[in-house]
Amino acid sequence: MKALIVDDERLARKELSSLLSDFKKIEVIGEAINADDAYQKVQELNPDLLFLDIQMPGKSGFDLLEMLDSVPQVIFTTAYDEYALRAFDVNALDYLLKPIQKERLKESLNKLIERQTARTQAGVAKTSHLGVTDQVFVKDGDRCWFVKLSEVRLFESEGNYIKVYFADNRPMIHKSLNALDEKLDGRSFFRASRKHIINLSWIEKIEPWFNGGLVVQLKGGQNVEVSRRQAARFKDMMSL
Amino acid sequence: MNRAKIYWICQIVGWSFYAIFNLALFVLLEENPVGNEITAQLMLTGYFIISTHIYRNLIIKWGWLRILSPDLIPRIVLSIIVLSISCFVFELLISLFLDISRYDNSIVWIVSQFSAIIFMYFLWSLIYFVYHYFENYKSALKYQARINEIQLNKLKSQLNPHFIFNGLNSIRALIDENPRKAKMAVTQLSNILRNTLGMNEKKLINFSEELSTVRDYLDLENVRYEERLQTVLNIHPDSYRFYVPPLMVQTLVENGIKHGIANLVDGGILELTTEVNDGVMKIEIKNSGQYQNGPKGRKGYGIANTVQRLKLLYGDKAKFNIFNQGNEFVVTEVIIPQQAIV
Repeated sequence: MKALIVDDERLARKELSSLLSDFKKIEVIGEAINADDAYQKVQELNPDLLFLDIQMPGKSGFDLLEMLDSVPQVIFTTAYDEYALRAFDVNALDYLLKPIQKERLKESLNKLIERQTARTQAGVAKTSHLGVTDQVFVKDGDRCWFVKLSEVRLFESEGNYIKVYFADNRPMIHKSLNALDEKLDGRSFFRASRKHIINLSWIEKIEPWFNGGLVVQLKGGQNVEVSRRQAARFKDMMSL
Repeated sequence: MNRAKIYWICQIVGWSFYAIFNLALFVLLEENPVGNEITAQLMLTGYFIISTHIYRNLIIKWGWLRILSPDLIPRIVLSIIVLSISCFVFELLISLFLDISRYDNSIVWIVSQFSAIIFMYFLWSLIYFVYHYFENYKSALKYQARINEIQLNKLKSQLNPHFIFNGLNSIRALIDENPRKAKMAVTQLSNILRNTLGMNEKKLINFSEELSTVRDYLDLENVRYEERLQTVLNIHPDSYRFYVPPLMVQTLVENGIKHGIANLVDGGILELTTEVNDGVMKIEIKNSGQYQNGPKGRKGYGIANTVQRLKLLYGDKAKFNIFNQGNEFVVTEVIIPQQAIV
């Protein structure tokens, strides 16, 4: 696994690097000294894993994650059990407290490698598009989530924001639906109308609607209208 | 109600009571007091009010309230004697002047009058000093309670786990890279922890002690921030004659780094300057960054604490100020006198 270390303190980066040198499966491919630097290096080096400090000058670790379309696996490194981390669902989160205990690091990495292996076995090749196994970082006010795209039923545009529907949550992200549509993998996601993108694997029922349009019922009971123009494309796609 | 108001109420009520009591005695013991005797009594009461007021101003001027210990007793006794003699002379003069025949100058009369006067001044001093003794005791208690609270909060949040754990993390990396520096850093961190934990032992410490904590702190931050933190210290040699509340300067320096330099990608400068002028010391901390007040800017916990501590220790004699200097610097200014009030 290719890892990128993001921390503003040289000694902290050095310390983590030296700890990681004992783990054969992790290859540190770079170090970044702030969020902007990290953003560039993520684009360039395409790491599988980020070791991310939260408090950094300028932009924080969260700001970095919000800038990225698709986020790699993340292990937060922090000096103190911070309030910021409580925003996360505990299970969704890997974090290490500095100074880092080797045992804890080992546990985190093992968990991560397991997850990564499962993903590779699922036969997902890395593409430039965002597929169902990719995860996005969503921050809404004080709460944060890493959301696997397979869990997202629906994207709904609302002004300059997109509402992301998953489980019982519908946080907003600051993006345009068109930009998102271009990034999403067309085999898994479908642009139903000007306002909606649906996850095909969440469709439960399809019914005809006025003017040759369609209504799609998603698992969980939500109905989404498919415009007439898109309905034709939809039928094309779904037919054998 | 402020103290001056309490003082005047006690003064007027007390002495009026004295005058009325004496006049009532006249009515009971003598048949009918003549007009002159009433005048004499009122003049005597007036003299008591004025003389005790002057006495009180002198007590304040000479700073006796700050001593408030048995050491004061000889001085109080002497003052009572001086006041009593002057009052007795005044009483003799008015009795002569108003030609009050009742005042024959027998020894018995002189002794009884003089001891009555001594008793009045003694009573006044007793009430005055006992009142202040309890007031001081109360404010010392308040101070102690506040200090306990500050200390607890300091331990909880100001101890700044961020600083400690990041520091420890840097030290761990330093052990391989530069063992000597790592050893020094461990000592410095211990010093800071010790000072923080032992904070309540003293209300004030010598500035040189505080400065050494600040130096340790800055050295440690230098380990973390490396070239991103530049520090400049300009200490006036007379500063070492001053006493400061423990960790006050350190807290302000820490704030300058935490809220200023830590947020700057390229880091910045921290300058600690002291000036001594006319018995007051000005401590100035200048750091890169911008201070934001209001709902968005965090009015740091440290600032509120510092202001409160200064008020408790120095009353209105200390000043605290924080402001932006241009677009690049924040200046924190503390002015303290050489003497604390508590």
